Amino acid sequence: MKSLTNHQLERLTGYLLAGAADASHALSIWLGRKVQVSMEPLKSVSLEDATEQLGAPEHSVCACCMRVSGALSGQLLFGFDDASGMRLCDAILSRERTSTKWGELEMSAVMETTNIVGCAFLNSLANTFRTSICLPRVADDPMDKAWIPTPPIFVRDYAAAIMQFVLVNQTHELDSALVARTSFTMDDWPVDWRLLLIPDSAALIELAGIIP
Amino acid sequence: MRGLADSEGPLIKMACIGVGQQQGTLRTLLGSCIGVALYDRRLKLAGLAHVVMPDSMGREPSLGKYADTAIPETIRQLTLLARGLRLSLTAKVAGGANMFSHVIPNSINTIGEQNIAAVEKALALHEIPIVARHLGGLTGRRMVVEIDTGVVQIHLVGQPVVFL
Repeated sequence: MKSLTNHQLERLTGYLLAGAADASHALSIWLGRKVQVSMEPLKSVSLEDATEQLGAPEHSVCACCMRVSGALSGQLLFGFDDASGMRLCDAILSRERTSTKWGELEMSAVMETTNIVGCAFLNSLANTFRTSICLPRVADDPMDKAWIPTPPIFVRDYAAAIMQFVLVNQTHELDSALVARTSFTMDDWPVDWRLLLIPDSAALIELAGIIP
Repeated sequence: MRGLADSEGPLIKMACIGVGQQQGTLRTLLGSCIGVALYDRRLKLAGLAHVVMPDSMGREPSLGKYADTAIPETIRQLTLLARGLRLSLTAKVAGGANMFSHVIPNSINTIGEQNIAAVEKALALHEIPIVARHLGGLTGRRMVVEIDTGVVQIHLVGQPVVFL
């Protein structure tokens, strides 16, 4: 399989950085609070190490997962530990740090947040791709090129188990995965929210062919 | 908790194999993957393979990744530890869950089931009986093998530990 060159990885990191900034902006508006964003350089990691991208493998964490179809098909995860998830619920539901457990309301709140953050990220990426490398517009080939995320689902499980589920599509053909990891923090509250984009093997082929 | 701390010993990562003798634990985390614990009670030898996919189709770089290569490789490593003594192995298997059934394509949904079938086939080929199973479902698992007893602990987030 053709892999991305270092130059292509650098360019893709730039596109993703713009996407992360837009996602952060959307999250700030949604929460009504200042949110800082930091994105790690895009990296290819072995499958063994990829399972640690959401946190310590044996720790239970929460994640909202969206599958993305289209030119950059793969998985988008918004993940956090329980404490950071509860602070997210507090911010959304205007509570004074009183959220303590995952009920229907709390899960719905973080899934809606994932929708907002994920779609802001993907919209930004799609726009960057179209303007930078002339990716065909949706109208050109709606079934193949549209960037369509599924509704998010909420899971609370071991970090490594969640990552295995999202990596399974890579394991057919690859022994490594490309992981874009963005971290968000909020002004005065200690939180650790992570947005992971993991392109699948079909997307990696597509990207290697279209990024100059 | 039984005896030793269940975090003592190596964590077997995705597509990897671990073996041990006499004491300690081997442990792994499982989603759609299968954990295959092989055990020789007399020699107190344990092996744990983290199987990711059902069939290697002739690929060799990662022997622990596929059911058809992970089982013989685990047996080979246990045979080395046995130093010429004859092995008498039994198997305990866990994993094969399907967590994201509605956001992952259908072909991927069945990976867990394919892995289960491939592991059962590979174990049958080597005439190793499966003495306990904890398979399927919708959630991940933490699998801990106690080397001195062969007992396997299955941990699920928010639920009591199951002993196999």
